[in-house]
Amino acid sequence: MNRIAYINNQPHAFHEGETILKFVKRVTGQEKIIPTLCDAPNLDPFGSCRVCSVDVALEEGGKTKTMASCHSPVAAGQYIYPDSKQVKKLRKNIMELVLTDHPLDCLTCEVNGNCELQDVAAQVGIREVRYPEGKNHLDRTKDLSHPYMTSDMSKCINCYRCVRACDEVQGEFVLSMAGRGFDSHIVKGNDLTFMESDCVSCGACAQACPTSAISDVFQSKAVHTEETTRTICTYCGVGCNLEVNTANGEILSIQAPYDAQTNGGHTCLKGRYAFKFYNHPDRLRSPLIKRNGKFEEATWDEAYTHIENELNRIKAESGPDAIAGISSARTPNEENYLMQKFIRAVVGTNNIDCCARVCHSPTALGMQRAFGTGAATNSISDLEHTDCILVIGANPTDAHPVTGVKIKQKFMKGVTSIVIDPRRIELAKYATYHLQLRPGTNVAMLNMMLYYIISEGWVDDEFVANRTEGFEALKKEILALDMDEMERLTGVDRNLVKEATKAYAASKAAMEFHGLGVTEHSQGTFAIQLIADLVMITGNIGKPGAGMNPLRGQNNVQGAADMGAQPHQGAGYLDVTDPEMNHRYNTFYKREVPSHIGYKIPEMFDAAINGDLKALWIIGEDVVQTDPNTNKVIKAMESVDLLVVQELFMTETAMRATVVLPGASFLEKEGTFTNGERRIQRVNKVVEPLEGTKPDGQIIIDMMNRMGYEQPDYTAKGMLEEISQIVPFFAGVKWDELGQNGKQWPVKPNGEDTQMLHIEEFKNGKGQFAFYSFSESKELEKYSKDFPYIITTNRELEHYNCGAMTRRTGNVDILTEDVLLIHPDDATKEGIADGEFVCVESPRGKVDIKALVTDEMKPGILSSTFHFPEVMLNIITSDEHCSEAMCPEYKVVSCRLRKSKGKFKQMAEASTVVTN
Amino acid sequence: MSKNLSELSGRGGIVDNLFEKMGNAAEKSGTVSQEELDRLAKEFLVGKANTYGTVTAYDFMKPENKGKKAYICNGSACLCAGTQDKVMDSLSEHYKREEIGHMTCLGRCHENSAFHIGGVNYSGDASQKMSEIVSTQGALQPKDAYNVGSNKELLTEAFTDVDAYYSIIHDVLKRSPEEVLGEIKDSNIRGRGGAGFPMGVKWDFCRKAESDTKFIICNADEGDPGAYSDRYLLEERPHSVLFGMMVGGFCMGAQWGILYIRAEYPESVDIVNAAIQELRDRNLLGDNILGTGFNFDFKVIKAQGAYICGEETALINSIEGQRPEVRTRPPFPAIQGLFNKPTIVNNVETLAAVHWILDNGGSAYAALGTDKSTGTKLVCLDSFFNKPGMYEVEMGTSLRTVIDDFGGGFKEPVKAMHIGGPLGGMVPVSKIDDLAIDFESFSTNGFLLGHASVVCIPEKIEIIKYLEHLMEFAAYESCGKCFPCRLGTTRGQEMFAKAINDENYKIDRDLLNDLLDTLQEGSLCAHGGGIPLPVKNALHYFEDELSQYLA
Repeated sequence: MNRIAYINNQPHAFHEGETILKFVKRVTGQEKIIPTLCDAPNLDPFGSCRVCSVDVALEEGGKTKTMASCHSPVAAGQYIYPDSKQVKKLRKNIMELVLTDHPLDCLTCEVNGNCELQDVAAQVGIREVRYPEGKNHLDRTKDLSHPYMTSDMSKCINCYRCVRACDEVQGEFVLSMAGRGFDSHIVKGNDLTFMESDCVSCGACAQACPTSAISDVFQSKAVHTEETTRTICTYCGVGCNLEVNTANGEILSIQAPYDAQTNGGHTCLKGRYAFKFYNHPDRLRSPLIKRNGKFEEATWDEAYTHIENELNRIKAESGPDAIAGISSARTPNEENYLMQKFIRAVVGTNNIDCCARVCHSPTALGMQRAFGTGAATNSISDLEHTDCILVIGANPTDAHPVTGVKIKQKFMKGVTSIVIDPRRIELAKYATYHLQLRPGTNVAMLNMMLYYIISEGWVDDEFVANRTEGFEALKKEILALDMDEMERLTGVDRNLVKEATKAYAASKAAMEFHGLGVTEHSQGTFAIQLIADLVMITGNIGKPGAGMNPLRGQNNVQGAADMGAQPHQGAGYLDVTDPEMNHRYNTFYKREVPSHIGYKIPEMFDAAINGDLKALWIIGEDVVQTDPNTNKVIKAMESVDLLVVQELFMTETAMRATVVLPGASFLEKEGTFTNGERRIQRVNKVVEPLEGTKPDGQIIIDMMNRMGYEQPDYTAKGMLEEISQIVPFFAGVKWDELGQNGKQWPVKPNGEDTQMLHIEEFKNGKGQFAFYSFSESKELEKYSKDFPYIITTNRELEHYNCGAMTRRTGNVDILTEDVLLIHPDDATKEGIADGEFVCVESPRGKVDIKALVTDEMKPGILSSTFHFPEVMLNIITSDEHCSEAMCPEYKVVSCRLRKSKGKFKQMAEASTVVTN
Repeated sequence: MSKNLSELSGRGGIVDNLFEKMGNAAEKSGTVSQEELDRLAKEFLVGKANTYGTVTAYDFMKPENKGKKAYICNGSACLCAGTQDKVMDSLSEHYKREEIGHMTCLGRCHENSAFHIGGVNYSGDASQKMSEIVSTQGALQPKDAYNVGSNKELLTEAFTDVDAYYSIIHDVLKRSPEEVLGEIKDSNIRGRGGAGFPMGVKWDFCRKAESDTKFIICNADEGDPGAYSDRYLLEERPHSVLFGMMVGGFCMGAQWGILYIRAEYPESVDIVNAAIQELRDRNLLGDNILGTGFNFDFKVIKAQGAYICGEETALINSIEGQRPEVRTRPPFPAIQGLFNKPTIVNNVETLAAVHWILDNGGSAYAALGTDKSTGTKLVCLDSFFNKPGMYEVEMGTSLRTVIDDFGGGFKEPVKAMHIGGPLGGMVPVSKIDDLAIDFESFSTNGFLLGHASVVCIPEKIEIIKYLEHLMEFAAYESCGKCFPCRLGTTRGQEMFAKAINDENYKIDRDLLNDLLDTLQEGSLCAHGGGIPLPVKNALHYFEDELSQYLA
């Protein structure tokens, strides 16, 4: 077909389905050639403002028809006149109408100089408003109820961009128009304030608003910014790009770039608004050395000397294996690389681990066993190509909000969707199937699914034959299973499982996502391998819209493991026990690196308690608050001679340190983060490190040099050059070539990156099927009789892990405490009312926590978070862990309940009085 | 036009319908309680803002409607007839002022004095029996009477009985959908809703759209003051409409026929529901009808008072429980309509012609009327005629014939006729002999056939006041989505009102022309786009009368 249309009589080729607006913008290269108000880069065309109208004729100079260019597709042979006299007049007339109901207080308006209404008014040349004074909405009051969101609806022009952002981007439906015609107006919820509404504070509406009608307390759209720096969010593994606005070296606000592949103009409230921790008064500003049980401020030199002496002493007395390090998945690749290098090459031990241990270590191990690579097989953008989404043990709308809402958008639009989770999480409400299993029974559930696929003949025979090994053995084991037993174990109707399985198997491309609800179990790695079975048996790997995609927890947990912050594999996942690899490391680091596997985190704690481990160096991880069985962790911390903690804040772990070193936040340093889809992105320094603090990489380098290892001063570029020589899949990664959206590893030496893995073959050739049968957690076997409830831990949107950062932002005003989710039946049985304090006791200890009565879980199942040190929920969690990867079993904890006594009872009564 | 809301609302199919639930919830008190709105939001997985935003956009669900016990018609015909002050006085004897609401056109334009109490419409001399009506609350249901006549009976053909009427469905369902659609195409029938789009072409779009689920909707939201021909068909010939929808469903592969009937026509809702039951009793609905493999059923959705729902995309939004806002096209409803599925929306009168077309053949229908306007047209005449009523005339019949031969001429001096609804043209009596009832005659003369209903503007009514009334109506019924209509109709109404009330104020002609052009060229739909036509006609034909208000 002839795809030619004319702009001012000049012929141009157009793309199929292209709107006139996009066509004219593209051809002319002028973004603002046609004025628009209701159009926005990340929203569907809407056609309300009509200022984008153009004249269109069917022949040169012929009779024209006025069309809104934003939603009218170009047709062959059209003669488009984007700036005819008539349309210019029309635009001016529309703007004149708009200004009859808009305050003309531009000089004092927050968005003065950065207001789209102002720009369009100037562009169309409005000089007067001729209408007599009439009805208007100038007297609307401001809404300043919320810690972040603000509104001044007198500035609203009814473009619906906020409503559409809340719907099309976030999918939350907090905003709508209400009323009709001239009276139509934006409402939050059923005409509430932002604070009263269900707003999740993502800020999409504020960013979308072309005026200051909806904004935020940071006045993100104001023009007082001097500089804008693009960087990567430090919270979860989605890897959202942020544009950070600064003036005078101070951060003013954060917005989301529309061209970011990870987040396309969107963020959650953590990314956009929870940045005020960076210069919070609580930030550590000086090294501290504990003397006689008290911290004393010290110079860097004193602190370094103290550490150096202690490390040398311990090494001399007990050998290098008495020293261990825990690197931080919050810090960039380069710093992780340095930490593991320091521990391995300078200290001389493989006792290095990172928080991947307590989250996705089973994923890495299980997927390596099955596919050869322990990382997401596909990219998040594959959601555009999938027709079935399976979410297992993940609650992405809270924990990975930007990816979560992308998934939710697909769920809402009716893609076949399956959620396997003990809780009726947000996604489960929209899912086609929710398999609400009992915590700890993933293996049984996956066995059931495999059973139906095999017994019903839903196997992708061709894929299985060509790409995999071990199918026959799997088949034999699976077919021998007793579905009655599986049904009883999981507590899920087998027909529902069968139906959901059929939907997964029958889809053209099914995409799997999972989180810690799979890994944090005693059978975590087995469950991962069974998911890999499910993916392979249906041929859902190596093609668009499919794959197995762990939702990595921390912003750089993928990178921390990639860089070798784990005891059995060095940088680039090379096996430390393999002589050839060992030789490679020795040569590269110019030091003898041990070839025996070091301690995993739980082993470090055991070794500390039994006296084998004398020194522990932790970067940016609050193990006391977040690792299970707090009392044991505390004991471990108190057992070592030297506990070095690099931190931003005086966390529960830092409090127990012998030396505290004040690190720098992500906003104060440069490097790269690797997100959950293997995307290596540039973290650019926004502001200088707070006085008295140092970037964590430089701290490590300082120590390396002091301990006799020559390591040049830190630059991200220099570090990447070094890393690219040892990490095979970083071969082509260069600081200057990462661009705005980074590159997905493996990156070939020529710089070419990889969106999808395992297309032709798996890393190790054939995919490996494996069978594992269900076994009950020892926690339940041992304790369920006396501790009949199961508590499973989760996350809340507003807070990040131990909350050291988010609790020092406005987020804490939105979500103020950890609560215990309890089923109404259980609440009745235990005589507990909503809002009352409950004492939850496990074999490890007890905590008092406020009850939130909800039927999100089945009776007998409780759920809570560990964001707040006031509760310290991990006092009750167990140190059972995955038999293979040693990931702790946070998801299955035996406990019993009773109403709180003493001060908690009084606290609940006091808060009830306040509420009433 | 939220795709998400369409999809979520559609999860319950048409049977478990959000909008219907809202309407039912509003039935008692006149609005939906906050708790119920929140509950519905939860049930349908939409936002609390959405259910709230929706009810606030409908006259009979919005919070302001709470406690309304009686409604008085404020449509153009009753206004011109000048009957409503008296009705209001009469109502005021029984109800407090805040208990009396408005309904815009009850379709009693032939006898006026229209009002609505307890789900029943009254008109003519009913207001004289107000005490009895109020005390019996709906027990007294006087049926209105109007003349019906024709010079070619297709739609007004006598209806014998259901079985006889549906005897041809057996043959129809045995033919291929393409073949049946061919007859419709051959008939050249054009949509009677206003736009005049060929129905066969529209059905074909939908037939070609690939989807397991499709809908055919009958737009029975006859909101145009002056028109009651749809009401006639719904109440007197309901099976003609149902038959047309069934055939449409057969042609395009739709399983559901939905009748969206305005709340102002409570009798129509009951009668259509009874007619559907007659089909159900005869096993002419459901799965595998007459063993042909054709599955089809009906659902009646009662509207809740928003004129804009006469616009097909606003109507679709409405059925979804969304705000009655106009959608952009593309996508056209035939490709992505109700619940994002292919959907056809047809007017009552267009659908009612299908039976005759299939009975007599498409070419027989095409032979009636003019080349481009085939078949017949229903025309409603208001109470300014000696013989008010609804007449079926062959397309091309002169307007003079309609007025004199059917209407029996005017009762009192009339200066203009507003033909085709509020968005139709204002025809001065001097133009009567230039016009015939067909699409082309009206458009070439600068008018619009539209619904072809006639509201007379008597000599005694000032044109400027009529224009203010029109703009007030347009502003009140604007959905508010597009800027020109939301703002422009209000500013227009304000200008006319100021000109009437403030003798020192003259309307700036340039400004008025700019406003009319902005509405006409800039509006998203025919509501804002159409309202300038009668105003422009008035400025053209009644310059002498209006010039005193202009500068």
